[in-house]
Amino acid sequence: MAKADDLIHQPLRLKIMAALYTERGGEPPEFSRLKSITQATDGNLGSHLTALEKAGYVEILKDHVGKRPRTRASVTSTGAKAFREHVAYLRELVEGID
Amino acid sequence: MTEFNDALTLRYRELWRSMEVVMVLSKTEAAAALADIQETNRRGATLRGYRIGGPILMLWSVIWALGYLGMGLLPPQQWGWAWLVLDMVGIVGSIVLTRPAEKAVRASGAKSSAATLKMIGGMAVALVLVMSAFSVLRPTDPAAYLAFPGLMVGAIYAAVGVFVARRYLAIGAVMFALTLIGFYAFPEVLAFWMASASVGLFVSGVWLARA
Repeated sequence: MAKADDLIHQPLRLKIMAALYTERGGEPPEFSRLKSITQATDGNLGSHLTALEKAGYVEILKDHVGKRPRTRASVTSTGAKAFREHVAYLRELVEGID
Repeated sequence: MTEFNDALTLRYRELWRSMEVVMVLSKTEAAAALADIQETNRRGATLRGYRIGGPILMLWSVIWALGYLGMGLLPPQQWGWAWLVLDMVGIVGSIVLTRPAEKAVRASGAKSSAATLKMIGGMAVALVLVMSAFSVLRPTDPAAYLAFPGLMVGAIYAAVGVFVARRYLAIGAVMFALTLIGFYAFPEVLAFWMASASVGLFVSGVWLARA
C-alpha cells in the first residue's frame, strides 16, 4: 500500500503540488499564476511554498524580466515522487484497497 | 512528588518520540482531497488554455481586420480569394502557436490533448458551417453577407464559453454585439466597422494571454 504524506496533505499544499505536478513539463508557473490556480492569498501561498521548499519538494526560482522581479516555482523529482505516492494512497483508500 | 511528575513527563515524551506518528485519513477525506486535485487541475488547464488561445485570438484579429478591409476596398469577386488566403495563413499560424503547448504536455509525460488536431477539426467545422449557410441562405444584401461571419464567430465563442471556459462567453457576446451594432447603425460602412471591431478581438486576446 502507498504511503500518505502529511506535509502534502494540507489542502493548500495539495493544490500547489497538483498544479506544479501538472506543469512540470513546461515553463514553471509564476507566483501570480499559481495564486490564480490555487485561489490562495499571497501570504498563504508564500508560506506554504516555503514549507514545501524546505522539504525539498519544490524549487523556487527568482529572477528578473526587464526590471520586474519574477518568482516561479517548480516541483522537484523528490516532490513529484512524493505527490504520486500520496495520490496513489488516496486512490487506494477511496477504492478500499489494503 | 514534583520529581515523580517530572520523571513521568520525561517518560511520556520518550514514549511519544519512539512512536511512529502515522496519518490516518477516512475514505471521505481521501475522496475530498482527490476532488480538490481534480478541481485544481481543471482550473490550471483552463488558464493554460487561455494562455494558448490568447495569441491565437490576436492573430485572428489581424486576419479579421485585413479580411474586412479587403471587403471594403476590393471588388466583391475578389473577396473569396482574399479570405481563402487569409484563412490559410490563420490556420497555419494557429498550428504554429499551439506547438509549444503540445510539446510541454508531451514533456510532462501527460496524455496529449491533441490540441492541434482538435483545433483543425473545430476550424474545419466552422468553415463548412459558414460555407453551407451561405450556400443555402444565399444572402443578397451585402450587409448580411458581411455580418454573418461576425455573428457566427460570436456564437462559436459564446458556445465555447458556456461549455468550456467562461471568458470566451464574454468575448463571444462582445463580437455578437459589435456585429449587430454595425449591421443596424452603420450598414453603409459595415466592412470598415467590422475591420475596426477586430480591435475588440485583439484586446480579448491580450486578456486571455494574461490570464
